[in-house]
Amino acid sequence: MAEEQKETVIVRRVRPGTKTEDFQNWEDQPFEDMDSTLAVQQYIQQSIANDISNVDGILAAPDGQDEGVWKYEHLRQFCLELNGIAVKLQGECNPDTCTQMTATEQWIFLCAAHKTPKECPAIDYTRHTLDGAACLLNSNKYFPSRVSIKESSVAKLGSVCRRIYRIFSHAYFHHRALFDEHENETHLCKRFTTFVTKYKLMAKDNLIVPILEETPNPTESEA
Amino acid sequence: MSTIIKKKKPVVGNEGMAGMEDGFPDPETEDALNEFNFLNDPQEGAGEAQTSGEWVSDKKDMSPTNEDWHIDQSMLTKLKEDYKKARERGKKYVQRPSKAALQDMLSNLGGEESVPPPSTTPPSRPRPVAAIDLTDEPDIPPGGRVEANRPPIMGIGDEEAIESALGLGELAGLTITNEADVLNSGYNQNSANKEAFRKTWTPKYTLRSHFDGVRSLAFHPEDTVLITGSEDHTLKLWNLQKTVPAKKAVSLDVEPIYTFRGHIGPVLCVAVDTSGEHCFSGGTDAAIRYWNLPDSNLDPYDSYNPSVLADTLVGHTNAVWGLEYDGTKNHLLSCSADGTVRLWNPQNKSPLLNTFTAEDADLGTPTTIDFVRCDTSQVVVGYTSADAVVYDLETGKPILTLDGRTLSDSSNAQINRVVSHPTLPITITAHEDRHIRFFDNTSGNMVHSMVAHLDAVTSLAVDPNGLYLLSGSHDCSIRLWNLDSKTCVQEITSHRKKFDESIYDVAFHPSKPYIASGGADALAKVFI
Repeated sequence: MAEEQKETVIVRRVRPGTKTEDFQNWEDQPFEDMDSTLAVQQYIQQSIANDISNVDGILAAPDGQDEGVWKYEHLRQFCLELNGIAVKLQGECNPDTCTQMTATEQWIFLCAAHKTPKECPAIDYTRHTLDGAACLLNSNKYFPSRVSIKESSVAKLGSVCRRIYRIFSHAYFHHRALFDEHENETHLCKRFTTFVTKYKLMAKDNLIVPILEETPNPTESEA
Repeated sequence: MSTIIKKKKPVVGNEGMAGMEDGFPDPETEDALNEFNFLNDPQEGAGEAQTSGEWVSDKKDMSPTNEDWHIDQSMLTKLKEDYKKARERGKKYVQRPSKAALQDMLSNLGGEESVPPPSTTPPSRPRPVAAIDLTDEPDIPPGGRVEANRPPIMGIGDEEAIESALGLGELAGLTITNEADVLNSGYNQNSANKEAFRKTWTPKYTLRSHFDGVRSLAFHPEDTVLITGSEDHTLKLWNLQKTVPAKKAVSLDVEPIYTFRGHIGPVLCVAVDTSGEHCFSGGTDAAIRYWNLPDSNLDPYDSYNPSVLADTLVGHTNAVWGLEYDGTKNHLLSCSADGTVRLWNPQNKSPLLNTFTAEDADLGTPTTIDFVRCDTSQVVVGYTSADAVVYDLETGKPILTLDGRTLSDSSNAQINRVVSHPTLPITITAHEDRHIRFFDNTSGNMVHSMVAHLDAVTSLAVDPNGLYLLSGSHDCSIRLWNLDSKTCVQEITSHRKKFDESIYDVAFHPSKPYIASGGADALAKVFI
């Protein structure tokens, strides 16, 4: 009876007791069979679980997918995965040495998560920006639904992208080993850069981490 | 929200509202100034003039729409005051119940039989909010159900007390019983006490801020503070009295006070200690993080304080799925996919006290744990095999097996959650095969079993008085059960499905009339 069930119904669940390496190790569910309101998130996470380095595959929307929702769900996933860099930065990015959010010398970013926007240390900027993005992207006012999103709300995604990109650029220019370690594991900056370029969410000039120009092996480090 | 100063050139320009909608007509200056566009959405009627004094006007413009990133100061101040007042008010009546609860606990621990008679109970459980306070229950005329609540725990009458508490046999089914048609078993007339069914829960807050499923949640022991642990790798601290009224929705929006970052990978379980000063979390990274709880009136955008992470308890070698705290001995109990259950004293220099590994390999992997609340020298562990085992903490030896395995005909009846009754020697297990099962810890016998949901039962919580059971399921519903009659007194549909999962956790507040649920849809919900 157990085998019969297996053939007919695949139950996609991570039950208590599951080993970390067995998370999401189920058979792929075709996108058209996903009837949940969270189908797009499911699909994106399934693609990532299959091959995290397949940036173009992860960013390839299923036919007929609403582009606003697609961009929104990807951005949620980026914010989620950026926690990985934030955790690493917490151990290394000292407010006494990284007193400002900088990448190259040209810019200082002010953190306006405050009454008066201020030059938060990079680690605070990182945390505040991710917290702020969590609030905005979960705002009942702008994003009450995950299946259809107003144009005016979709338009807000660009500013979130620019802001969280600074976490990548700060890590790249000031914590290079940390950045490389994270990037080797996740290809996240590469995926993000490809994403914002593909959907014109950021101007090319602002993409200061030379991730796409690098050879296919992003692990290669330079001084 | 943040803005940019360009060091080499002065920043000038108007913030073009069209910029966002039309892509990027103009390069960096405008782009940089567009940072705040979402806060000045023209459709929201906010101002659009933006000159070189960016953030001054910015700030002004933001106030009408600031729920995304900013908190309006006047609002904040008002909320703070409200919170303080409410807190003071809260304290006045909270103290007494908690003292009473403590006495209950102490008397149980001491094995004393001099439990106060029911008639003395009501004064020690004041009713600040009559309609919604669970502590109302002791007002019910004494009868079988009160006996169930205050049994001679260590006494000779054990079996009978349990029988009367759990006497409904096979009657409980999938149907929801309204107060009008309470099931009468014929041998348990007390279930007809309508007073018991009056309390129903209504949604109050929706907590949105996580990016992925909320796997676990835990209330502060006294304050209206909730901690959620999510697959998005973070935990969040919520002060339920710091709310922003939502525009149209019935429920209020709450924003998190603090985000705990430290786990590398999903957070699977959370526990708060009895002082309310610390919490613990376990995740797929095999680590148990030991956190100092920040002040619940903290500015969410305060500076990073590394000392919030007090310690990391290292020992498990795979995902940590369960954490429970016992305040009487400062014990923390954990279970992991590495097959072990571990006992810790988090304050010790070498916190790991003991490691339990099942001798019987057929038990499978431990999935969930709890202290036996009426005898905290014992713990109960649920396994993937559907069996649960009670262990003695001192010897590390199994005392008895609660057999769920041979009682289920399903291929996977694993235990997803085990909870101990707060005062009775009863273990309740939630199974993948839709059942909730009740075991007598003295005999090891199953005393009741019921198909409780339409899909796997994932989570259980017993109210502090031991009268009600809350269950959550992947069928998207939360059910409230009268523990005496084993009848469902309320069903609430909550949380949407992601793949084949929906509700991961449910919780009762230990001292206030709140319940909460966490789901695969990245939301946590609070009901009053």
